[in-house]
Amino acid sequence: MTATTGHTHARRSRELSLLAALAAILLVLGWRAPRFFSTANLADLATSVAPALVAAMGMALVILARHIDISIGSQFAVCGVVMGLVAKAGLPVPLAAGSAVLAGAGLGALNGGLVAGLGLPSIVVTLATMVAWREGLRWATEGTWVRGLPESFQWLGLGQTGGRLLIVVTAAAVFAFFAWGLATLRAGRSVYATGSDAEAARLLGLRPRRVVFAVFVLMGALAGLAAVLTTVQFIDVQPNAGVGLELRIIAAVVVGGVAISGGRGSSLGVLLGVLFLAVLGPALVFLGGKAHWDRALQGAIVLLAVAGEAARRRGAAHD
Amino acid sequence: MTRRALSLLVLLAVAACRGGGGGASTEGPTVALMPKNKGNPYFVSCRQGAEEAARELGVKLLWDGPTETDAAKQNEVVEAWITRGVNVIAVSVENREGLSTVLRKARGRGIKVLTFDADALPDARDFFVNQATPRGIAETLLEHTSRILGGQGEFAIVTASLTAANQNEWIKEIRDLLASKYSGLKLVDIRPSDDDRKRAFDETQSLLKAYPSVKVVMAIASPAVPGAAEAVKQSGRTDVKVTGLGLPNDSKPYLKDGVLDSVVLWNTQDLGYLTLYAAAALVRGTLKSGATSFEAGRLKTLRVDGDNILLGTPFTFTKDNVDRFDF
Amino acid sequence: MTDAASARATRALLGLLAVELVAFTFLGHNFLTVANGFEVVRASVEVGLLALALTAVIATGGIDLSVGSLLGLCAVVFGWLAREAGLAVPVAAACAVLAGTLGGLLNGWLVTSLRLPPLIVTLGTYSLYRGLAEAATGGVANYTGFPDGFLGLGQGTFFGGIPAQLPLLAAAFLFFWALVHRSVVGRGLEAIGYAPEAARHAGVPVGARLRLVYVLSGTVVGVASLVYVARLGQAKADAGTGFELLAITAVVLGGTSIFGGRASVVGTLVGLFVLALLQNGLRLADQPAELAGVLTGMLLLLALALSRERKAS
Repeated sequence: MTATTGHTHARRSRELSLLAALAAILLVLGWRAPRFFSTANLADLATSVAPALVAAMGMALVILARHIDISIGSQFAVCGVVMGLVAKAGLPVPLAAGSAVLAGAGLGALNGGLVAGLGLPSIVVTLATMVAWREGLRWATEGTWVRGLPESFQWLGLGQTGGRLLIVVTAAAVFAFFAWGLATLRAGRSVYATGSDAEAARLLGLRPRRVVFAVFVLMGALAGLAAVLTTVQFIDVQPNAGVGLELRIIAAVVVGGVAISGGRGSSLGVLLGVLFLAVLGPALVFLGGKAHWDRALQGAIVLLAVAGEAARRRGAAHD
Repeated sequence: MTRRALSLLVLLAVAACRGGGGGASTEGPTVALMPKNKGNPYFVSCRQGAEEAARELGVKLLWDGPTETDAAKQNEVVEAWITRGVNVIAVSVENREGLSTVLRKARGRGIKVLTFDADALPDARDFFVNQATPRGIAETLLEHTSRILGGQGEFAIVTASLTAANQNEWIKEIRDLLASKYSGLKLVDIRPSDDDRKRAFDETQSLLKAYPSVKVVMAIASPAVPGAAEAVKQSGRTDVKVTGLGLPNDSKPYLKDGVLDSVVLWNTQDLGYLTLYAAAALVRGTLKSGATSFEAGRLKTLRVDGDNILLGTPFTFTKDNVDRFDF
Repeated sequence: MTDAASARATRALLGLLAVELVAFTFLGHNFLTVANGFEVVRASVEVGLLALALTAVIATGGIDLSVGSLLGLCAVVFGWLAREAGLAVPVAAACAVLAGTLGGLLNGWLVTSLRLPPLIVTLGTYSLYRGLAEAATGGVANYTGFPDGFLGLGQGTFFGGIPAQLPLLAAAFLFFWALVHRSVVGRGLEAIGYAPEAARHAGVPVGARLRLVYVLSGTVVGVASLVYVARLGQAKADAGTGFELLAITAVVLGGTSIFGGRASVVGTLVGLFVLALLQNGLRLADQPAELAGVLTGMLLLLALALSRERKAS
C-alpha cells in the first residue's frame, strides 16, 4: 500500500521543516552556548530521549490507526511501580523489567478491548482509564515511594556507563524495529490502512479491529518499556511519575507529522519530533531562558510547527 | 442492562464504603487533617505521626485533600467537612486568602481550626502549628550554601512548581538575605520540578551543563532532593554539592555518598503528631488562647508564642545523624 | 442520535443521580441537606460553565483542551489589572472576559482558517495560555485583596443560602440549551459534527459556526475566571488547572458524542452534578478522594458502553 504522491510530498515537507527547525536551534546553541555540544551533555540528552522515543513510537502506532491514548502517563506510573515491587519482592531485576512491560501490555489490552471490541471512542476510553489508574495507584500506594530495592536495580547492575548504553541501544533498537515493521511488514501497512479507511481495509481482507486492539496493546507495552528505561536510572520508584507525559508525547508525535486523523505519518517524523521537543527544553536553559517562559514558548512552538505546515500546504494545494 | 449496571455501581460504592468508617462519630472527637498534596512524601510522613497521636488519644482521624496541589480543591474539602460535621479541622494551607474565608465559616459553626506547615490568615484559625518560619528556613539553607561555597560563589535552586506558595515565600526570603547578608553568593537560576523526581533530575542535569560555575544546587522540594542529588552524582562533578529541604530516608544514600551535603527539615512525623495533640486539646478545652506552653505526649513541653505553637527550629540532617531517623 | 435514544440516555443519567442521592444519604454525614446542596452547586459553577460551552464545541466534532489554561490566563489578567494597574473592578472584569474571547478567537481562527485539527490546536494553546499566565506572573504573583462586593460573586448568597453564582450558571444553561437545541445555528452545529462536507453543501456557513463556538467557549471561560477568583479570593497562574478534563468528562457522561453530531446540553448539566455529587458524597462518607477518581473513570466507561451506537465504520 503506497501513500499517494500528495501525502508523500506533505510528509517530506514536514520532515524537512522539522529538520530545518532542529538545525536552527542547534545553530543558535552552537553560537550562543557551545557547551551544549559537550560529550557529557549529549550523553545525558540521549539517555533522556530514549524512553520518550519508545513511548512516542507507541503513540504513533495508535494515532496512525486513527485513535489516541491519553492514559500513557498513568500506564507509565503503574508499570514503574510494578517493576519496583517485583524487584523488591526479591525476583531478578530483568524479570521485574519484563513484568513491567507485561503490565503495560495488559493495561493496553484493556484500552484496546474497549475501543476495538466495544467500539467506544478512544479519547474517552483512555480519559477514563487515565483517571482510574492514576487515582487507583495513588490510593493503593498512598504516595509511598518503592524503596529498599536491591543494588542491581539501578542500571540493571551494569553500572552507569553500561546502563546508559543499554538504555540508548534498547530504545534505538526497538524504535528501529517498529519503524522497519511499519514500512515493510504487512502488519505495519495494515496499521496505515486501518487508520486511513477502516472500512476499505476490512473489505481488503484486513481485520481493523484486530489491528486496533494490537496497537493499544503495543502502546501499553512500549509505555511499560519507557517506564523501565526511566526507572532503572534511579534507586527507587516514585509512584506519581509521568504526570503530563501524554501531552508531551502527543505533541512530539503530532509535531513530527503524524496526522491526528490517522493513516499518515512516518517514523522519521516521529524521531525528529521527539528530538526537537527533547532538545527544546535544555536548549532554553542553556540559552539563559527563565523557567516561567518555558511553557509559553513550547506551546507557541508547537502551534507554529503545525500551523506553518498547514499554511504552506494550503498555499500549495488546489483547494 | 441499565438497571443492572446501576445496581452494580451502588453495590460497589457500598462495598467500598464498608471498608472506611461511615458511622457517626460517637467514639471521641473527629479531627480532619488536610495536607496540600496527599501524595507528597513530606505529608505522607506527617500523616504517620498524626495517626500515631490519634491512636494514643483515642481520636478519629480523617485524612483527605487534593491528590495534586490544587488551591480550589482545599476549599471544597473544608466545605464538605463543615457539612459532615467534624470537631477540628487542621490544614496545611495552599491558598491563604481563599481558604481563610471557608475556615472562618467553619469557626463560625463551632468547629476548631488549626493550621500546620503553612498558615492561613491569623483570624481564620485558633492556632498555627509552626515548624519554622520562612525566614528561619531561608537562613538555614543559605548558611549551608555559604559554608559549602566558602562565602563566595554561584548556586541554583530547584523548586517545586513555579506557583507553589511555601517555596515562593522561601525564595523571597532567600533573595532578601542574599541582598543583605550574603552578598558573596549569587543565585543563577531557578528551575521547577513540579514535584516530579525525574523532572528535578533533568533540570539539574541541564543546570550543571549550562552553568558550570554553579557549585551548589539547592533543592527545596522533597521529591527534588533525590532527583537533583542523583543528577549531580551521575555527572561525576565532585565539585558540586546539593543541599535543600527533604526527608531523611530519601536523602540517606546521597548523604552517605557525599553528594548531598545537608538536608534541612524538621521532624515531619512530630509535626503531624503535635498537630493532632493540639487539635484534641482544642476540642477538650485544655488548649486555650493565651497559653504559653503546651504538653504534647512524647514531645513533652513545647513553647507557644502568641498563637503559634512552635515545634522547634529547623533541623539539619547530615551523614552523621541521618541514621537516627526513619521517615 | 434520535430524540428517543437521547431521552433514554438522559433518563438513565437522572436515574444514576437518584441512586447517588439515596446511597449517599445513608452513607454520608449530612449529605441530603440544603446547605450541602448549595455548596455542591457553588463549587460546580465554574466547571459547569466550561462544560456547557464545551458541549457546543464537541457537538461540531471539535474539542477545546485549552479552557482550563485560558481560565488561568484570564484570572491573572483580571488580578493584575484590578490590583496592580489599579483599574476599577468592572473594567478589569470586562478586560478579563475580553481576554477569554480573544483566546477563543485564536483557537477558532487556527481551526477554521488553517484547517488544523481542534485537538492539536487546543493542545498547543493549552500550553500557550497557561504559559502566558506563568510568564506574566513569574509563577509567583498572587493577586488578592479584592473588594467584598466583587468577592460576593463567588462567596455570597441571597434569599438565605442560594449561591450568588447560580443565576450565572442558569443563564448559561438556558443560553446554550437554546443555542444547541432550539436554534437554526444549533442544528447547523450538529450537522457539522455529523457530516461537515454535507453541511457545507447544504449551505451551513461552517467556518463561521466553528469560529462562533470557539469564541463562545473563550468568552464563557473569561466569565468563569471571574467566578473562580471571586470564590477563592485570589488570582494566580495555576487557576483552573485540570478543569478541562472535568468539563469534558461531564459532557461525555451527559450523552454528547465525542465524535460530534449529537449533543445534549441537559445531559451535560446532569453529568456535571452526577460527578459533583459523587465527589461530595464520598467525601462526606469519609472516603478518600482517590476513590472518586476511580469511580469517575468507571462511570465514564459505563456511560459510553450504554450509549454507544452501531456506527457504520
